[in-house]
Amino acid sequence: MISRYRRRRLLNAFNLTMAVLATVFGVFWLVWILWTTIRFGAGAVNAALFTQDTPAPGASGGGLRNAFVGSLILLGMAVAIGAPVGVLAGTWLAEFAARRRLGAVVRFLNDILLSAPSIVIGLFAYAIIVDPSGRFSAYSGGVALALILIPVVVRTTDEMLRLVPGSLREAAIALGTPYWKLVTRITWKAAASGILTGILLGIARISGETAPLLFTALNNQYWSTDLGHPIANLPVVIFQFAMSPYSNWQSMAWAGAFIAVAFILLLNLAARMLLGRRRPRA
Amino acid sequence: MSATPRIHTRSESSETVAVSGIGAVKVDVRALNFYYGRFHALKNVSIEIPERQVTAFIGPSGCGKSTLLRTFNRMFEIYPDQRAEGQIVVDGEDILKSRRDVALIRARIGMVFQKPTPFPMSIHENIAFGIRLYEKLSKAEIAVRVESALTRAALWDEVKDKLQQTGTSLSGGQQQRLCIARAVAIRPEIILLDEPCSALDPISTAKVEELIEELKNDYTVVIVTHNMQQAARVSDRTAFMYMGELVEYGPTEGIFTKPSKKQTEDYITGRFG
Amino acid sequence: MKVTAPRSAPAGASRLSLDVLFRKFTGAIALLVTLSLAGILIALTRESWPALHRFGWHFLISTAWDPVSDDYGALVFIVGTVVSSVIALLLAIPVSFGIALFISEMAPRWLREPVSAAVELLAAIPSIIYGMWGLLVFAPWFGNLEPWINDHLGAIPWIGALFQGPPMGIGMLAAGIVLGVMIIPFIAAIMRDVFLVTPQALKESAYAMGATTWEVARYVILPYTRTAVTGGIFLGLGRALGETMAVTFIIGNANNLSASLLMPGSSIASVIANEFTEATTHLYKSALLALGLILFVITFAVLVLAKLLLLRLDRMEGRRA
Repeated sequence: MISRYRRRRLLNAFNLTMAVLATVFGVFWLVWILWTTIRFGAGAVNAALFTQDTPAPGASGGGLRNAFVGSLILLGMAVAIGAPVGVLAGTWLAEFAARRRLGAVVRFLNDILLSAPSIVIGLFAYAIIVDPSGRFSAYSGGVALALILIPVVVRTTDEMLRLVPGSLREAAIALGTPYWKLVTRITWKAAASGILTGILLGIARISGETAPLLFTALNNQYWSTDLGHPIANLPVVIFQFAMSPYSNWQSMAWAGAFIAVAFILLLNLAARMLLGRRRPRA
Repeated sequence: MSATPRIHTRSESSETVAVSGIGAVKVDVRALNFYYGRFHALKNVSIEIPERQVTAFIGPSGCGKSTLLRTFNRMFEIYPDQRAEGQIVVDGEDILKSRRDVALIRARIGMVFQKPTPFPMSIHENIAFGIRLYEKLSKAEIAVRVESALTRAALWDEVKDKLQQTGTSLSGGQQQRLCIARAVAIRPEIILLDEPCSALDPISTAKVEELIEELKNDYTVVIVTHNMQQAARVSDRTAFMYMGELVEYGPTEGIFTKPSKKQTEDYITGRFG
Repeated sequence: MKVTAPRSAPAGASRLSLDVLFRKFTGAIALLVTLSLAGILIALTRESWPALHRFGWHFLISTAWDPVSDDYGALVFIVGTVVSSVIALLLAIPVSFGIALFISEMAPRWLREPVSAAVELLAAIPSIIYGMWGLLVFAPWFGNLEPWINDHLGAIPWIGALFQGPPMGIGMLAAGIVLGVMIIPFIAAIMRDVFLVTPQALKESAYAMGATTWEVARYVILPYTRTAVTGGIFLGLGRALGETMAVTFIIGNANNLSASLLMPGSSIASVIANEFTEATTHLYKSALLALGLILFVITFAVLVLAKLLLLRLDRMEGRRA
């Protein structure tokens, strides 16, 4: 019996050790990826990166100015479309459909959309915008990114609004506040930082998205802010440059990757801090 | 070893201290202090628990009665910021300082919780699980042990036809008796009951109380309860605790008829708590 | 605790119209969002119709992929997608379980948050970074490891053929491993959450019987959370199936089937990403869109299953609360 007991203890020790190793393994990849991104990327960041456009194949010099600006334009479009749509849809879910079957169905399908492969969203944007209009364009890329952003915003808006205490709503209704005013003036305000967190996380999610842009915004070697034409953007440039045989392109890809990762991690950090501040109030 | 192996021997060989007129001491708590982080939850508690009797801990909520119970099997150890200082001597061995693995200590101290906690497995497995932790038995031997444990818990007749159903399919009272059977199946010497009836209806409560009467023939039973009538009904000795201190301890009848301390009397007569 | 809004707005007569308008407007937008799923299905079906019409069911089982003679089939890519995802799961499931177990049952309180945050950050890193890192850093390193895999795993009877091939670093196995790392945070986060909501009394009961931490995890926590854990795994699978950029970088992009996991292959997503802008003929583009449709249908099914399993746990919690 003691030997049986010893075997159990050994098994326990072994498996718990494996659990620790699994955790170390997971954290190790994070450190490894971040470390290489910093090592190859941080050194490659220079002023030209922000003042010059992407170089032609084989040419030396150049920067990523057009890609940065293009990405910001795409993100701006995605937020302009996605944030209001997401907030309104999330508002309906939380305020009007919280206990209705239709609400449950919409919430369920939104969650599916949230996890749908981004490449499929890109093909969808291609099918409804690029194909009919006959050309790749910045705005088709913006729509594709918006479609990825929307379910993130819907979900956080829904969750955050449902955290607003019912007593607050009742108090406002008792004063005779119309419901639309109650929502826009009171519950949105009470949940503002939570909703903003959702939007920030959504931006973090789409700012690295590459696949959907391959069939929509495409890429552009030159400076362009024309929404009706292909536009340069950081993820696709990283994709092309990293895959290329030119070492200066690869190093530029690392620099771009470093800036993208830094941007995304900062957004995540900001979202965490916002949410942390919100919690005690709820 | 015999056909019914035990992990350890009973206390016959070790020193046994007699508590005034109540037989051998099973658990001897000496100057026990307990802390939740910085909160001092048990203050210098000393108590002797007699063998094969029912001892009840009563007191208002937050008085430390559950905390005291949970030191007996070192349950607090799974939480990082809880610690105990002092001695808890079981059969002559201080279990707080014991070098022996805590699992072996827990093997002889069964525990039943406030809410029934059937494991997510079949009724049969709920009981076989604990047996298999300590003994390698054939299927037939396990079946015998499962039956005898369920019989001891007065549950066999109700579940013998549905042993393969999940434990959660039983009623609350049945679930609690299943948990008692599960504790009994490992053949402990001490059974700790932490408010075992607080989630049960009166009929189930009566059944469990009857069972407790039975159990004391073979086990040392310690029960925490917020229900004074229950303590009066089932226990031989009662300890009244208040604000982390042991206020009064003695034969149940004495505590309930002529308590020696004012606080005890106030509590029992319902003046506070 | 969830507090929900009163079911409907009060019916104040004069302001009724504005309230109704607000409700209808937001409702319409919510429905629009939902309908986009149907829109995806319709649009992709329409776009891939030429290929589906031309090849019929044969499209699913054909290994042909020949732009020159305009003959297309999906099998190579379906197999590549499934195989790389299965490799990813084989890596991600045990690792995620270990991480969740560590966070929920072993780590001191002060370590819980940092470890959780670190694992969640793995999910925040965009897949393009995984891809270029995989191609430029991981693959060369992995290539050094492959001769060893050849010699040892390749020598095992029956499954040995899976591990024989040139040590290139890139290929099906490398893609599967990177995919596995990418889905670890999703699976681990769900496992951790459900492990942490397993009732403390249940765990204590098992500990009180002298069960070890492992036994509590294996026989109490895992059975208790089984459905949600399965749901989390399916959610990770859904991610892996549709993951594009990382796979495109590392899988090697060879449009044929190969017995060895060390050989390059292709997944649905990677072939679309690689060839879409080069697809010159109408039928070629349509075939790629048909691949997208297949991917959508597969991931949709997997995700629906995942969400249904996870919902069951929500309901269980609702009952307990």
